[in-house]
Amino acid sequence: MQEGNQLSRDAFIYLAQAAGLDTKSDHMNELYPYVQSMLKSIESLKNLDVSNAEPDMAFQPPQ
Amino acid sequence: MDRLELCYLSAGQLSKLIQSREVSPVEVIDAHLHRIEGTETVLNSFITLLPEQAREAAQRAEHQIQLGHYRGPLHGIPVGLKDLFNTAGVRTTSGSRIFDNFIPGEDCTVATRFQQAGAILLGKLNMHQFAYGPTGENLDYGHMHNPWNPEMVSGGSSGGSGSAASAGQCTITMGSDTGGSVRIPAALCGIVGLKPTYGLVSRHGLTPLSWSLDHPGPLVRTVEDAAITLNAIAGYDPKDIASCRSEIPDYTAALTRDVKGLRIGVPKEYLEAPLDTEVAQAVQDALSTLADLGAIISQISFPSFEQSQAISGTILMAEAAAYHRDLLAKDGDKLNPPVRLRLEGGLFISAADYLRAQQGRMLFNRETKRLLEQVDLLAGPTEPVTAPKILAPQVQAGDQTIGTTAALTQYTRPYNITGSPAISIPCGFSTSGMPIALQLAGRSFDEPTVLRAAHAYEQATQWHKRRPPI
Repeated sequence: MQEGNQLSRDAFIYLAQAAGLDTKSDHMNELYPYVQSMLKSIESLKNLDVSNAEPDMAFQPPQ
Repeated sequence: MDRLELCYLSAGQLSKLIQSREVSPVEVIDAHLHRIEGTETVLNSFITLLPEQAREAAQRAEHQIQLGHYRGPLHGIPVGLKDLFNTAGVRTTSGSRIFDNFIPGEDCTVATRFQQAGAILLGKLNMHQFAYGPTGENLDYGHMHNPWNPEMVSGGSSGGSGSAASAGQCTITMGSDTGGSVRIPAALCGIVGLKPTYGLVSRHGLTPLSWSLDHPGPLVRTVEDAAITLNAIAGYDPKDIASCRSEIPDYTAALTRDVKGLRIGVPKEYLEAPLDTEVAQAVQDALSTLADLGAIISQISFPSFEQSQAISGTILMAEAAAYHRDLLAKDGDKLNPPVRLRLEGGLFISAADYLRAQQGRMLFNRETKRLLEQVDLLAGPTEPVTAPKILAPQVQAGDQTIGTTAALTQYTRPYNITGSPAISIPCGFSTSGMPIALQLAGRSFDEPTVLRAAHAYEQATQWHKRRPPI
């Protein structure tokens, strides 16, 4: 569905539908480029060496 | 005393006059309501003003003080709360007409603590819709305006808090800071903004933007007032799962003005980022002042800074979208368009990307912890530019043109990632008369050191005494 930082239009519509958005709305023409730009802006996270890092959200059992 | 003078006294100054009965809370509230009446059509700081409620509370406070029941330095002091702090019986809109008639049944913990301290709620302050923007632009309730130049943004998302405190409409205001939303309006409006350590001040009863990045904090005109406010609102709250059981010191006791030997590190990456030359010079001068006071200033390297926008942005967008998911499906078309896009955009962040950002957060925090073993504070500009024009999509920062949102959150987001205490204090003005600010950040729960350094600098300079021309 996604190659590099490109999200295909079909994939975008599929995900928008799954998220409960109205995919028939003209608003999708505004949202699609915004989402592409947003995904590009976070692309750099893929370059982080996270081999030695757990997500910073440890579970704490109830006490 | 002249009404305008009453409006520009700090809580520290006003409290002494109230305690000694030289001034009554009734006079104080009347003065502030008069000030609001004279400035509000320009600033648009408030969504809901509570004049009758405030006057009644002032009369009760006056009576209590006359009977000898003085509660402390916030008794009789006018306070404004950003309109995402729930207030029982008073509408709380989060800056959206969708919630125009939402009236909470219960106060948030911060409101309860202010009430217990005897503070008087003047009203609910305007904000960027759902706290999701750094400018204070709001199409539902109108944009907030900067008291130093009303054509410019007040900053956001706690824009009304910034303009109200700066213009003397309130003595103390509260905001919430997820990517800078207390420090940005504080910096752009020429006042003090404190983002405390994550978990120090309860988030209970606040509309969330991003659960793991949200920090309630005060916007005030002096560092002492930030300390006084923190004394009243900090502390464990069982209703907030992120609330910390740390010991709460007397934050005003930290205001010794002594910074001899304090090690302050300035990341070189801050100076390499897009940065206006006047801002750079003002911050450099501020650091020289701190050095003259005995602090040890050094340049350090903070390589992870480059990743802060991606880490913070991913976490914020995903969490905000998750919280507002149902609203988006039902009423997305009623949102301010830029806020709608940001919220919907978050729905497209995968779980894997969100978790990767949280891994990045772990690495970021490790590096920051290491840096704060070498130095006591990290310093730099709060903002790379002065307040831009309302609705400007881009700003000029040095020789670079960058997006307004990216610019205004450039230096603030890192301390939401780490949860560290960070304060913005005025440190100068541009040639066009707009405020410039210095940011100091410290170790978790070391608000005393952050406040001590900020207070020392403030008291060695005159910036905090300047008033906007409104």
